[in-house]
Amino acid sequence: MTPCAVTTGFFTLGKCGTMAVAGCPSCGRALCADHVTEGGLCPECAAANNRFGHPAAVAAYRRRAYRHRSAGVYQDTVWYTGFDSYDRAAFDPGAAASQDYLDDGDDALVDS
Amino acid sequence: MFWRKQKAAIAGFPPLHQALIHERGFTATMPADAWTALAASLGRHTALVRRPKWALPRRTLDVLVPLLQEVCSDLGRKGMLTVTADLRGPQAPGKTTPSRDLQVRPPVKSAVETWTIDPWLRLRAELRDGSVLDVLVVDRERTRRVTKRNPRGKTKVKRKTKQVQIIKVRRRLPENGASVRPPTAPPRWITVHVREGRRRSILAGAKIDRMPNSAEEQLDRILTVATEPFRWTPQTTAGGAR
Repeated sequence: MTPCAVTTGFFTLGKCGTMAVAGCPSCGRALCADHVTEGGLCPECAAANNRFGHPAAVAAYRRRAYRHRSAGVYQDTVWYTGFDSYDRAAFDPGAAASQDYLDDGDDALVDS
Repeated sequence: MFWRKQKAAIAGFPPLHQALIHERGFTATMPADAWTALAASLGRHTALVRRPKWALPRRTLDVLVPLLQEVCSDLGRKGMLTVTADLRGPQAPGKTTPSRDLQVRPPVKSAVETWTIDPWLRLRAELRDGSVLDVLVVDRERTRRVTKRNPRGKTKVKRKTKQVQIIKVRRRLPENGASVRPPTAPPRWITVHVREGRRRSILAGAKIDRMPNSAEEQLDRILTVATEPFRWTPQTTAGGAR
């Protein structure tokens, strides 16, 4: 059985662990039926693409925002790195992130 | 018959939802699924009930519900969450201490001090990693009423208030639970104590002399203080299936 690899929890992070039924087309992680969001994406990839139709995507977005903010308040980089590579990769520029976060390139009209 | 549809809608809400409407607070111990159902019911409130008298108390939808959702995601299958919410506000009966006279000297004729203590949120959660999380949020207000007489015999009264919010968080680790001091110290406004024993407890507290400007700031404050005890245990998503 392939377990669902979606991160759950807020303060105490863990894996869902339920039997997976699909894979995320963006990052490839295994997903159970409860964690398949819009477009078949995992909650983290859905949140990175601003698709908040599924409660798990909203929870993933809130968890990530909280971790990012509290890591800044505590100046503790270890706290934020509690996420695994899947959780972080969805928000990396050029991976699955929204086009708004991508680099415009050298020939861009405005230097953003 | 007035408000018939809204009365029928309220009658269909869960008992805790009704308690929030009529009594402005509740105390309950339930598993995560029951709290999630309550949060869903509270989310429907604004669409179904529009009468101001039956509106949800302040801090319900923007502080209490998000906090419940976050804590519920950390509960195990058998973990229970106890919430005592008293959202009646600081002016509710029983929250003001008896006034006491302060020592004065001329031109002050009298000074009376009153304290209002409003413990509006208490929370206890049995988390899936075996630890127990306690959260307490208290609003405290000191009011001083000073009566003065100036040289021309005119009497003036001044009132001064000072508000403080106290947030206390305790996490009792499971027996023989590993914990290490985090690499960085918390912000100066958060104090930390470690209580040794059979089960190690990590206590974080904050006494903030400025009330939050918005519900988001309030929620952020509570979550920020609650973060500290969790920095003492290794953070990893590698294992720990729910």
